[in-house]
Amino acid sequence: MALAGIGLRAPHLQQIASEKPATGFLEIHAENYLAPSPALEIVDRLRADYAFSIHAVGLSLGSVDGIDEAHLARVAALVKRLQPVWVSDHLAWSVHGGRYFNDLLPLPYTEEALDVVVRNVERVQEAFGRQISLENPSCYLAFAHSTMSEPVFLAEVARRSGCGLLVDANNIHVTAHNLRLDPNDWLEELPGDSITEYHLAGHAVNDADGVPILIDDHGSKVAEAVWMLYAEMVARFGMRPTLVEWDTDLPDLSTLLAEADRANRLA
Amino acid sequence: MPIALRDLQSAFVAHLAGTSPSSLEEWVIGDSISAEARLRVHRHHVRDSLAAALASTFPTAKALVGEEFFQCMASAFADEVLPAQPVLAEYGGSFAGFVGTYEPARGLPYLADMARLDWALNTAFHAPVTPRLSAADLSAVETEQLPAKGLLLAPGTALLRSAYPIDRIWAAAQPGADTGTVDLEEGTTCLLVLRRPDDAGFIRLSESEVAFVSALVEGRPLEQAAEAAFAAEPGFELSAVFARFLTVGAFAALR
Repeated sequence: MALAGIGLRAPHLQQIASEKPATGFLEIHAENYLAPSPALEIVDRLRADYAFSIHAVGLSLGSVDGIDEAHLARVAALVKRLQPVWVSDHLAWSVHGGRYFNDLLPLPYTEEALDVVVRNVERVQEAFGRQISLENPSCYLAFAHSTMSEPVFLAEVARRSGCGLLVDANNIHVTAHNLRLDPNDWLEELPGDSITEYHLAGHAVNDADGVPILIDDHGSKVAEAVWMLYAEMVARFGMRPTLVEWDTDLPDLSTLLAEADRANRLA
Repeated sequence: MPIALRDLQSAFVAHLAGTSPSSLEEWVIGDSISAEARLRVHRHHVRDSLAAALASTFPTAKALVGEEFFQCMASAFADEVLPAQPVLAEYGGSFAGFVGTYEPARGLPYLADMARLDWALNTAFHAPVTPRLSAADLSAVETEQLPAKGLLLAPGTALLRSAYPIDRIWAAAQPGADTGTVDLEEGTTCLLVLRRPDDAGFIRLSESEVAFVSALVEGRPLEQAAEAAFAAEPGFELSAVFARFLTVGAFAALR
């Protein structure tokens, strides 16, 4: 069974619409389809052939001010229109004071932040009338006043709000490298029953103070270390629908499909 | 007392704006990579990703100045103007105005107008597909009532005027275009930008067509729009021009 899907990106849209390649599902970023466009009309038609995953990047589930209701209403309308199988966003914040920063900004893992995220996830699930999944972010820093680990924080949000967890193997790898953690310890604390989806992606290696720092840029093939971590996740938690993300320096569609095939073979 | 989440997010936002990096650093764990270097990853990402979003919304402006120049110009804009919400196709409404005042681009006086054309095409691309006025709609109206009717432009339709031949510059900047020369002294150009079934595009208008559409946009009836067009160019042929606009789907409805 083909469980792995691919991100549907604008340069591949026409080819996918005409060739209809076999893949587990198609994923779109909510924020790219909130305004009308010929692309949205193609997605509407592709619903007859594919299961869809709507991955939001701008709900800002970690915002202390709550969810922006105007944006929430637009995403809710898209969810209603496309009826995706999965809906997700990240454990992060990107909106503050009426401005959008186009980045997944980090949260301290504290009781206060936990209350904020749970409240925001509940508001979104209420607006959508369905469960959403929360994705672990790629971290470049940790806050000194955090009182719990990231997987424990995620587990607690899932327990209190009833949301699912979207576990991104590349993000675990990037976070573990940048924050000097052991990815296996990270997995150890995660509640397997809450996991609804997996993500895979490539990352870049940058320089910070002369030391390598990994950047989650979705701009290359999945790294071998991430494939190994993914295999460990499948062995530990079982198979889940898996997305191969590739957003910058987009390759030919065939290269992307080959990455998804590799995920299927591994699973 | 640990910092409250609201204060932390405000301090982070101030850091992203480059105004107060130090108040935040004490809450970020630094090691062989300092807290400051870790925070910088986010500041750079915000700026670079917004510049990339602008590059995708303003492809012609980018093609004209090249990747590196555009990145600098877009980053300077992003330092001044952040998106008000997460739909990036709606970010950059004031970019063309910024380009017009951007000192390093002063040698390209048409660049701001090219950015205006990119923005108009982007706006048309994201306009809803609504019913268009057809010949059948017109034949349903009594002939003697037509002159008093106004016309509504279809969503996404926009009139663009430039002192430069922006249609030729646009064509020359497309991927794979012949690198011929464009005479900047050709004179004023007027374009009508439109949402087409599968994309957005534009047609070039004559002076009389511009006068005709401008009058309609101002809410004047067909009769007065035609008079304005005749005044601009005595050779104006109402039926031919009307047929052209119906073919491209420029009008939404009579009013």
